[in-house]
Amino acid sequence: MDSAQLSGGYGGVKSAVLKIIFLAWVIVWAFFVARELLVKDNLRDYIALAGRSLEGKRAYVTGEDLYGFLNFCRANVPSGAKVSIEGIEDGSLERRRAVYYLYPLIESPEPDYILAYGKAAAGREGYPESAAGEHGRIYKKIEAAQ
Amino acid sequence: MKEAVLLLAALSSVTFIGWNVLRLMSGKNLRMSLPETIAVSYGFGVGFISLEMLLFYSMGLNFMASHILLPWVIVIAANFVVRSRRPKVPAPVPSAPCASSWTKAMNVFLAGGIIFEIAYAFFRALIKPIESYDAIAIYAIRSKIFFLAKSIPKDYFSSIAKLFPHADYPMNIQLFETFLYSAMGSLNDQLVKIIFPLFFAAILCVFYFAVRRFAGRTYALCFTFILASVPHFNNYATNAYLEVPLAFYIFVSGIFLLRWAEDNGSTPALILSAVAAALAGWTKNEGLMYCVIYAGLVFLTVASKLGKVSRKDIFNALLYSGIILCILLPWALIKSKWHIVNDEIALGNLNPANLFKQLHKLGPVFYELQKQLFGPKKWNILWPVFILVMLANYRKVIGFPQRYVGAVILMALGGYALFYMISYVDVVFFASKTWARFMLDFLPLAVYLLAVTLKEDIKC
Repeated sequence: MDSAQLSGGYGGVKSAVLKIIFLAWVIVWAFFVARELLVKDNLRDYIALAGRSLEGKRAYVTGEDLYGFLNFCRANVPSGAKVSIEGIEDGSLERRRAVYYLYPLIESPEPDYILAYGKAAAGREGYPESAAGEHGRIYKKIEAAQ
Repeated sequence: MKEAVLLLAALSSVTFIGWNVLRLMSGKNLRMSLPETIAVSYGFGVGFISLEMLLFYSMGLNFMASHILLPWVIVIAANFVVRSRRPKVPAPVPSAPCASSWTKAMNVFLAGGIIFEIAYAFFRALIKPIESYDAIAIYAIRSKIFFLAKSIPKDYFSSIAKLFPHADYPMNIQLFETFLYSAMGSLNDQLVKIIFPLFFAAILCVFYFAVRRFAGRTYALCFTFILASVPHFNNYATNAYLEVPLAFYIFVSGIFLLRWAEDNGSTPALILSAVAAALAGWTKNEGLMYCVIYAGLVFLTVASKLGKVSRKDIFNALLYSGIILCILLPWALIKSKWHIVNDEIALGNLNPANLFKQLHKLGPVFYELQKQLFGPKKWNILWPVFILVMLANYRKVIGFPQRYVGAVILMALGGYALFYMISYVDVVFFASKTWARFMLDFLPLAVYLLAVTLKEDIKC
């Protein structure tokens, strides 16, 4: 760009400074775009994601194991049941994703089911194992005698 | 493929609704170019559809896309009748063709850079479903609940909302996501992310035409490119966080407020500014602060006329606050009815005695702010340049009308510092997690102020 046009009536020094600033901006911009794609390895993720279905993409961003476990839980726990999640750190991104994908299963301190991811156990009495999958287990609360 | 077609049809319908609302409100004196009108219409359409959905909830109606769109036929018909009586609005004067081949090459480079940034934002947003922290934990979970229930469930505010973080957050975008799910007929949390790069493109469009009002094409492209290529801004156009929609409403409100000030009290510009400010408050709680700032600026402007205050001025000032209150009232009533309060900030702590006790928090707050200002990873070299230009041109910055923009940025910075002081959350953690996001809210205004301050008579 013509520096006089960019900086208008500014003096020669100001005009040159603005020109240099703009050039610096473009260099930093190009550097960070390249860094984003190549150094941070996002390009690899984009290539991996490009050919996948929506379910495949959800599995990729969530982690194949965790997403497999969440699907296993959704298939084996009735909709609307109260659940407790074990084996996923409280407050972590994985926990948030688990809560999102599990809904309409709702987390509760008094769960009907305990969903234990990985090697985690039920961690409380009265919940025998009701289903076991590749990436975790489901424990169901013993119904109180009528 | 079917979902994508339905999504585009829904977005077109929403933008058309926004256009009709905009035309009804703007009157015949507000000159806007077609791309600028479409960009503003999109943001207004999103806001009005979500407000309508809140009304549907109050009336016990289900969220079906066709039912949501149907009532707008009345607005479209009304607009047709009103518009047919008005003279055609002239478009802004196009700039003279540039003679220099160097300038032409620069235009191509800058336009290419902007197109690249927009395309890159769309690509990054749409390559994967919603997965980032707040987007999942706060917003997408609510959209999913509403979509599966085909409404806001009856026990939502009494019990379900409290199971997830920040029940008090406004629901503009969550409800609009629900509308798009309803239009697509499926919970496609990948395609729904198109909302965010669209807001990004809309900001750039409004920004470009705002600069074109006082400068040539190359100059406007240059500053639009600078805004588009701020890395943090582009990132947030892709991750389904609400900062970019919020920044859109704040910027549009600010630009119309400037036009009101410049056009000697143009009521349509003031109405549009108030609507955009209210929609900012309906998007995120931070937007409420901008409602107060903008309404305060309107009152200050009117009050500064001293003995020359006309009835129209007083009416305008009251109208501004009235519009904001009307738009935000339904959500405020719902929050009040269900005792939904913010769990991070208590406005009751906003008293001099408590603020004095919390002064020690300003250290970490400003430490984190300077880390943001001088870190190129998120902002390129924007803030050091911004500070230098403001200091070197302070007389221009306090001149009319750019002093409005400067005042908004300064008051916003002060407002955020106050938030940190009255927050329950550990200030070091809170500031480190949120400053960069807060700065996105006024980023377009800051780049606009930079453009206004550096402007000179440019031929093309």
